[in-house]
Amino acid sequence: MTPRKTALSPGSPAPKPRSNGKPDNALAAELTRLLGPQKVLSNLSERLNYRYDAIQFGATPLAVVLPESTADVVTAVRAARAAGVPVVGRGAASGLSGGAAPALPGLVISFTRMTRLDIFPERREARAQAGVVTLAVTDKARPFGLIYPPDPASFRTSTIGGNLGENAGGPLCFKYGVSGDYVRGLEFVDAEGEVHELGRDAYDLAGLLIGSEGTLGLITEATLRLTPPPRFTRTLMASFAEVGACAEAVSAAIAAGAVPGKLEFMDQACTNAVEDYLHLGLPREAGAVLLVDTDGDDLDTVEEERALVEAACLAAGGTVRRAASDAESAALWQARRSVSPALGRIRPQRMNEDIVVPRSVLPDVVREIRALGDASGFHVVQFGHIGDGNLHPNILFDPRRESPEAVHDLAHRIALVAIRHGGVLSGEHGIGTMKRPFMREAVDPVTLSALWDVKRALDPAGALNPGKVLPEEE
Amino acid sequence: MNNDIPVQDIGPQGEVMAHAVDACVHCGFCLPACPTYAVLGDEMDSPRGRIVLMKEVLEGALPLADAAPHLDRCLGCQACVTACPSGVPYGELITSFRGWSEPQRERSPLARAGRAAILKILPAPRVFSLAARAGQYAKPLAPLLPAALRAPLDLLPEHVPAMQPNPEVTPARGKRRGRVAFLAGCAQQALTPNFNAATLRVLARNGIEVVIPEGQGCCGAAALHTGAREEALRLVRQNLAAFNPDDYDAILSNAAGCGAGLKEYPVVLHGLPDEAQARAFAAKVQDISEFLAGLLREGELEPCLPTARPLTIAYHDACHLAHAQGVRAAPRELLRAIPGVTVLEVPEGDLCCGSAGTYNLEQPELANELGVRKARNILSTTPDLIASGNIGCHTQIQSHVRRQGSRVPVLHTVEVLDLAYRGEL
Ligand SMILES: Cc1cc2nc3c(=O)[nH]c(=O)nc-3n(C[C@H](O)[C@H](O)[C@H](O)COP(=O)(O)OP(=O)(O)OC[C@H]3O[C@@H](n4cnc5c(N)ncnc54)[C@H](O)[C@@H]3O)c2cc1C
Ligand code: SF4
Ligand code: SF4
Repeated sequence: MTPRKTALSPGSPAPKPRSNGKPDNALAAELTRLLGPQKVLSNLSERLNYRYDAIQFGATPLAVVLPESTADVVTAVRAARAAGVPVVGRGAASGLSGGAAPALPGLVISFTRMTRLDIFPERREARAQAGVVTLAVTDKARPFGLIYPPDPASFRTSTIGGNLGENAGGPLCFKYGVSGDYVRGLEFVDAEGEVHELGRDAYDLAGLLIGSEGTLGLITEATLRLTPPPRFTRTLMASFAEVGACAEAVSAAIAAGAVPGKLEFMDQACTNAVEDYLHLGLPREAGAVLLVDTDGDDLDTVEEERALVEAACLAAGGTVRRAASDAESAALWQARRSVSPALGRIRPQRMNEDIVVPRSVLPDVVREIRALGDASGFHVVQFGHIGDGNLHPNILFDPRRESPEAVHDLAHRIALVAIRHGGVLSGEHGIGTMKRPFMREAVDPVTLSALWDVKRALDPAGALNPGKVLPEEE
Repeated sequence: MNNDIPVQDIGPQGEVMAHAVDACVHCGFCLPACPTYAVLGDEMDSPRGRIVLMKEVLEGALPLADAAPHLDRCLGCQACVTACPSGVPYGELITSFRGWSEPQRERSPLARAGRAAILKILPAPRVFSLAARAGQYAKPLAPLLPAALRAPLDLLPEHVPAMQPNPEVTPARGKRRGRVAFLAGCAQQALTPNFNAATLRVLARNGIEVVIPEGQGCCGAAALHTGAREEALRLVRQNLAAFNPDDYDAILSNAAGCGAGLKEYPVVLHGLPDEAQARAFAAKVQDISEFLAGLLREGELEPCLPTARPLTIAYHDACHLAHAQGVRAAPRELLRAIPGVTVLEVPEGDLCCGSAGTYNLEQPELANELGVRKARNILSTTPDLIASGNIGCHTQIQSHVRRQGSRVPVLHTVEVLDLAYRGEL
């Protein structure tokens, strides 16, 4: 079985930047000696750019390594270990919980140049290095009649390593599952710089690494499961006067037995922010918009399912529009994917929640959050993977004019709405630093101490992404 | 993005910059759109990274000299603006930043002289024509020259045409539909006089009277984007004086870079007394393809003769047309209006060809990498013809397509229309 090579960019060898100045610390100098100047960034201008992710800024690293192979990662981890500094893995830094923003100055290993991607159509598998961009897997697999379903809204930017670090989901996860469900095996480098190859039999150590946000090991390669795309997909958009009615339609459709491929919603502020960007003719006046794909290999079933959803929407007082063409549904999904960054048009900062609640209580929850938002004087908007009960209430604010304490207070009250209705704190964006303070409320002390035991077993020195996920031990 | 940019010390351009930095939520959606990120794969050479670098310099946390190499690599293609859902006006940020920082740059006397010479030569068609011809004679020497000098020579076409003067007024033919002013451009007039000749013929054929107002100068984009703000202001004001928007239905350009430059006048003059005048002017500016597509949509465009045989045209989106001006549909509609033509989409079509004004001269390695990639992508569609709406792209694509051994003609969109009208396609 020969792998079919699919180079990411069919370019000639690219010129690579090299640090302009002299490494200004011992670690950077040692790494430069070991790996050469083209794989190590040590100037301040370079290091400053590796201290943030999509939600926050952290400490400026001492050095940044851009590895091209697993061997480079091993070298870098060992050098950091010898220097006694922490190591943070980084993909595209599109994470929304502060995962890739270093809590302490140390080494950042950025995987963006590890982009080898082989497709094995016979086995329906892809072997991807950590830096492969998520969308590239499907792009390269499609000619073989295969796709890679996990589809976070950031899939044009985010990397496989980062997706596995966060166990990312996406609209398709309602029916098809999250990133971790598509992993057959992993290669990773541990805290001591040893390389391991993991399958998913015996102890599911691969499962342990997935979603561990770079705190247990650095994923260098993954074997991913590919599937044939459903033969038919039908898209519909429904609009509702009010966000609770939208949630009622979702609950009713699912109760009636529909299993749509995707079920996503956005409220009025979201729709308008996106409309300002894409000018698609979305219904600006609607209180909420629901986007639904039904899919499968049997057209009758797909249409039947769409009819079920449509009926539920109409019963909840909604207006329904069917996408007439592939281009129209592609545009609608691009609209949904752009919601989160488009909110920047309203206020420069946002507090981004990621709660999950049982589907049966969705109407109550979205209405309560709406009411909290209206009473608070802040712009509170809602969107998310409503089919999973995964909601992203966002508080938009301007730090120059509005108090961060008030924002945090409101965020806490929103989280409590979820908990009161039997929900949890994080659906897909991870714990990072953003939700670390809530961990003691969400996880019982015995379980927490077991998690610490795992962390100590794999990373005794606490060198891997310190300050993330687990709260300090008492 | 939170920032502490001392707006009060910088003035109106500081406001423009602080606003842009504020608007960025560092989501990273712009990364895959950025040509330098595509080639180099690191954060400092991405739009998000550059925004952070500019913020740090403006706040005084990072010396300008440290950030400069990465900011210099930005092509100003504005693909990141198209990709950004938050509406960050990156183009306004980098242009204002270059204007603000250029006086503080440490450059060797030689580098300064080189930049000054380019800025003097580009806008003066006669001088450019002379320089280009001199360059042609130097071509055989190219292998002996250092890369920075070799790059501009490589770009020169095999044949630099003699200068042709433009008529000040070209009367409309047939039913008169309107009157427009035309920016004749500078370097373009010297290298490819047929772009303008074809433009005048096509407009006249459609009943449009074309005036090339005396006293017009270079659009100022080259000066502006290399940070020569004073020079740019002078050119902007010269053009505001030469074109009275009330006299014309539209002010047209057939060079995407110049058109984008003209539309940028209100930002250049932001906070200055003539800002309102710039606004009135910019409101009238259109790319030639926008204007003609407007006629087409109203059913007013003279029909073209069918092509001799079915013809495939790979259309290249010039960044300054697609990203800076948001003009994508118009040129495609015009080409499709020619009976017998099929328009082909180019893979990675949104990625810059690497030309971008003086970029070829300043970043020859990256420019070359992008040029090779663009030519390969275009040729992968096996077109009969390549069309685009910008002189820079034209030269870059032609040179790289030839180097890859293809003889496919590379034309301006308006040249294609002109040929179609004459039944020569
Ligand atoms: C606009 C927007 C929309 C988004 N939509 C979604 C969505 O729909 N669903 C979703 O789940 N997420 C979403 N996200 C969040 C984010 O895109 C995902 O978490 C994504 O998986 C992060 O990938 P990345 O490559 O950017 O990783 P990074 O942000 O760079 O890193 C994420 C975490 O993984 C760790 N990590 C990175 N690479 C490795 C590696 N090789 N080995 C071990 N650990 C590593 C990092 O240390 C960090 O803790 C969205 C983000 C944005 C900005
Ligand atoms: S896409 Fe826009 S908001 Fe997002 S990082 Fe880029 S410039 Fe900033
Ligand atoms: S203008 Fe073009 S080159 Fe510059 S940052 Fe934006 S996308 Fe990159």
